[in-house]
Order: sequence, then C-alpha cells, then structure tokens
Amino acid sequence: MIKIKNLEASIDDKTILKGIDLEIPAGEVHVIMGRNGSGKSTLANVIAGNEAYEVDGGSIAMNDTDITEMSIENRALEGIFLCFQYPVAIPGVGMAYFLRSALNAHRKHQGKDEMDALEFLNNAKAILSELGLDDSFLKRSINDGFSGGEKKKSEILQLLTINPKLAVLDETDSGLDVDALRTVAKGVNKFKNENNSVLIITHYQRLLNYIKPDVVHLMIDGKIVESGDMSLVERVEKDGYSWLEK
Amino acid sequence: MIDSIKKSSLEFFNTNGLPSKKLENWKFTSSKNFKNFNKSLSSDEVKKIESDELSIVFINGVLDKDSLENFKFADLIEVKNLNELTKKELLYCSESFLNESMFNLGVSEFENGSYISFKENSVIEEVINIKNYFFENGQNERMSSFNIFHINEGSEISIIEEDIKENFSIFNLKLNKFICENSSIFKHGKSYNDDSQTHSLSYNYYEIEQDVALSVDSMVKSSFFNKEFIEVDLNKVGSDAKINILNLGKEEQHIDNNILINHKAEHCTSFQHVRNVLDNKSTAVFNGKVIVAEGAQQTDSNQSNKNLLLSLESNAFSNPQLEIYADDVSCGHGSTTGALDENSIFYLRARGIDYSSAQKILIKAFAKEVIDDFSLSSLQDISEIALDSWIDG
Repeated sequence: MIKIKNLEASIDDKTILKGIDLEIPAGEVHVIMGRNGSGKSTLANVIAGNEAYEVDGGSIAMNDTDITEMSIENRALEGIFLCFQYPVAIPGVGMAYFLRSALNAHRKHQGKDEMDALEFLNNAKAILSELGLDDSFLKRSINDGFSGGEKKKSEILQLLTINPKLAVLDETDSGLDVDALRTVAKGVNKFKNENNSVLIITHYQRLLNYIKPDVVHLMIDGKIVESGDMSLVERVEKDGYSWLEK
Repeated sequence: MIDSIKKSSLEFFNTNGLPSKKLENWKFTSSKNFKNFNKSLSSDEVKKIESDELSIVFINGVLDKDSLENFKFADLIEVKNLNELTKKELLYCSESFLNESMFNLGVSEFENGSYISFKENSVIEEVINIKNYFFENGQNERMSSFNIFHINEGSEISIIEEDIKENFSIFNLKLNKFICENSSIFKHGKSYNDDSQTHSLSYNYYEIEQDVALSVDSMVKSSFFNKEFIEVDLNKVGSDAKINILNLGKEEQHIDNNILINHKAEHCTSFQHVRNVLDNKSTAVFNGKVIVAEGAQQTDSNQSNKNLLLSLESNAFSNPQLEIYADDVSCGHGSTTGALDENSIFYLRARGIDYSSAQKILIKAFAKEVIDDFSLSSLQDISEIALDSWIDG
C-alpha cells in the first residue's frame, strides 16, 4: 500500500524526520507511538503533503506510484486520508456541501459519475446513524462550534464517506471521552478491510483496546527505532521510552 | 425657493472645491478623477421603458411617471416634485452631509427630484424594484439626482434598488433621503452590478422615528469607483437599524463605505456588518462610526468590518469608531484584515479538493456570511448569483 524509504523532512530549517522507513501492506493496521516532539505528527503531515514541511530526502510511494512530489489534493485522490489532530473550523461552508464536493472529486478521479444529492444524503445519513450523530450535523458549517468529540467524529464521517486506501489517524483519540473513543474506534473498524490500510498515531493504549494493530512502531528523534507487536505498547505503558535510548 | 438652495449649494462647492485627503472621510480616497466629468446636459429625448407592476423606474435619476401607471400599489403612494417641499423638508438631514462639498454639488445640479410617500399603514409584502436606468446624453457626464422616500406610520415597505446602464462612462452622484415614521418597517436592498466605467458617489440619509425596524443591505461588484455615505439618525426610542454590506473588488476598483449611526434616543439597537473581498489592485475603505448621545441609555450597538485580501497589491483601510456619551450601553466594534487561511486550504485539499476550488469555497464562505444576513431573500438570491460569477470570473 504505502512504502516510505529513508524519509527526511524539516520545517523552518529544523530537521524533524531523520530517515523514516515504513511499509504498510494492504489489510494491515500499524501504530506509531513516541514522545512529544519525536516527529509523529510531522510524519502524518508529510504523508498528506502539507506544504509547510520540506522533504529533504527519501521517498513516499502509494501502490508503487511515487507521490513524494505530488500535490496535497492528488495524494488525497490517490487514496491518502489524514484524520487531523486539530481539525480546522470553516464557518460558512456546510458539511453536506463540503463532503459531497470531496466525494465527487474522488469519484471523478476514479472515472465515476458524480453522486447526486439524494443518494449522497442517504449514504451520509446512514453513516451518521452508525456514528450516533444527528442528521442536522450535515447542515452545520465544517467543524464550526463543534465540541472536541464532534470534531473527531466529523473526521470519521469524512473517512467513511470518502473511503480512501490509507487512513492516517493523527492522535484522533486525544481529548475524547470513553463514549466518543468507542464511536471513533467503531468507525475505524468499519472502515478497515483487506484492501485498505490504517496508520494510527497515538500516545495511549486506550484506542488500541478497540482497534487491534498488526504492527507497532516506536519513534525517537525522527526515526523509527523499534517495531513489533502489541507487547511494545504494553512496554511503553509500563516503562516509557527511555529504555529505547540505551 | 429651490433655486436659492441650489445657488447657495453651488457657492459652497465652489468655495470648498473637490474633497481633499485632509478630510477624514476622504483620507484614503482620491477625488482627482471627478474632474474628468462634466454636468449632464438635460436631453429632450423621451426614453420609453417597459416596466412591470412591481417596479418604479427612474431615468437618469428622474422619476419616470409613466412607470407609475403600471405600478400595482400606485394608490398607496403620493408623489410630489421636490420643488414643492420647504427648505426644511428638503434639506433636513445630516450636518455632515451639508458640510460635504460633493453633496452640495449634487444639490446644486439635480433636476426634477421626487418625493415619494407611502401612505400610513401601507403594508406591501412584495418587494418593490427601484430601477435606475441611465442613458448617455454626452461623454463623461456627471448625473446628479435627489429623491426622497417617506415611509409613513405603520407602513411595511421593501425595496431593491438596481442601477441599469449600457457600457459608457458616467459619474453617478446620487442623493437619497428616507424618512421612516413611527412603527414602520423599511427594508432597503441595493445591488450595484455596474460596469467598470462607473463612478458612483451616493449620500443616503435615514431619519428614523419610534419603534422602526430599518435594514439596509447592499452588494457592490464591478463599479470602478463606488463611495457611499450612509447616515442613520435614530431619533426616538425603540428603533433598530441593521446594515449589511458586501463589496467585491477586482482590478483597480475603489470601494468605500462611510457609515454614521447616531443613537439619539434610548432603547435603540444598531448593527453594521461590512465585508470586503479584494483582488488584484483593488482598494476598500471602511469608515464606520457610532455616536451614542448623552441620555441614549440602553443602546445596543455593534459594528464589524472584515476584509479578505486575495492579492498582495490589494488594500483595505478600516476605521471603526465609537463615541459614547451615555453610561448604560452595550457597544462593540471590531475589524480584521487578512488573506485566506492556509490551514483551511490545506484541510480542503487534503480531502481531494483542488487548490483553486478550495480558494473559491473559502471566498464564498466569507462573503456568504453577509449575504445570509440580508433581510430580503430575493436580494440574497441575486447576490449569491452575482457572487458566484464574480468568483468564477
């Protein structure tokens, strides 16, 4: 699915990623954990193509297509979806209009006809119902006046509507109460299948109680220094990260 | 009587000349292009305009009385020539207007101004279209007009003003006075969708009595130069004035709003919301002032000016002001100027929406927040179509 080779990236001349190697095959859920400032969110943003970051070396490929130099929107159309840690509020742009515009951009890219408003609304309402959200959600402006939990649910609504190939969840679990956490996990579990992949960036084990990862990676100072199974998460919960530096 | 008023106004203009940048309301506005226009010569040619039953037509600023024959509500209005009014009736308006040399020039030049009075308790649900047609008599003409609308007690009137002209150069110097008597509702919509050769300078005075609901909504696009003065006197208790303005500027357009709201009585509310979207080398000016007089307690007033700059060469000058002489009031004001938010663009692009479309979505969202506040749904529709074509253009 995605292959990242020796990726180096910086922002404002400060090097953050110092040689990331990561491969996530289709059908797998990978987790990246690490201290604050280790480069986890930078990696998520660089995968999504955030132009605030400079790629200084290495490459990112999606299904054998090199996307390292690709624009943000073309990466999205190639199947990359970033669940934002801090989703922006955009007053005046309705959720329904935005979601349908995004969905139809993907359908056009895939050579499909645009989805009409009625079909879109029926699909969106079905997803909202599964997430325990009211239909009025669609009438609101993007994330405007949303609670922290609603913002994260909005991201999952978008994920399930667009149905990308790779979902990158950048600390989607932060700030969520238990009920919202379950809703988010339910959405991610509904999304994942043998044809797509999930990359979860998190500080905590609690989301992983609901979404079982295949591989866990630990990041220190811009590099993945350890990869393994769920036992790594348990070790981090118990001992933190200092043992990795020895 | 009218001749002596015109004569003294012309003397005022000749003494003071074109407004200079030393004046507060002209600090960021050049009047040098005004020299390129000459007073319009009256034409004997009779223009015939087909009007519908909901329209009142003005031709070169003068009421087309033929249009009243078709007007559905002709029996609810009374029409007089401004020559029939007393000096007080004619020129009871803002002191600041009387001290404006261009206002005086307009007074000295207008011909056949009309006083249109809606009778007491005239409740008209349909929107009346005020269609201002302009025809070229000669080159580079300054067409001055002066008209008064009187909304009598208990009346509910909605109008949308629209300027209609072919593609020729004109300086439209427009003076309007609106009198809203007790318990009236007046919704005044304006849609300026002129071509790039129009210079428009307008002075609009609103005299507001007790328990009046006034809304003034306008959208400007395409005029080369558009400077508008709006002055509202809230003279008696319990009235409300809402002003929502959206301006769209491109190329070297200059768009200029000067709003003064005088709270002279208790328990009145006012709201100003002006947004400018500026591309290329366009410029916008906002001079907004609220004056709360001593004794105008329980005033609730808010003014907001937001400017979206789409190019490095566009400019916005914002000057929101409050003068408060009462001690039990709630008044707020604010102003922001900035470019499109890069984080918002990234968010939209990360969902597969291309850069250009993301920009258009954000511009529309910014502008539409004003349009959504317009009190007339038909003006909302007109404005949204105009906005879409401006963004796509």
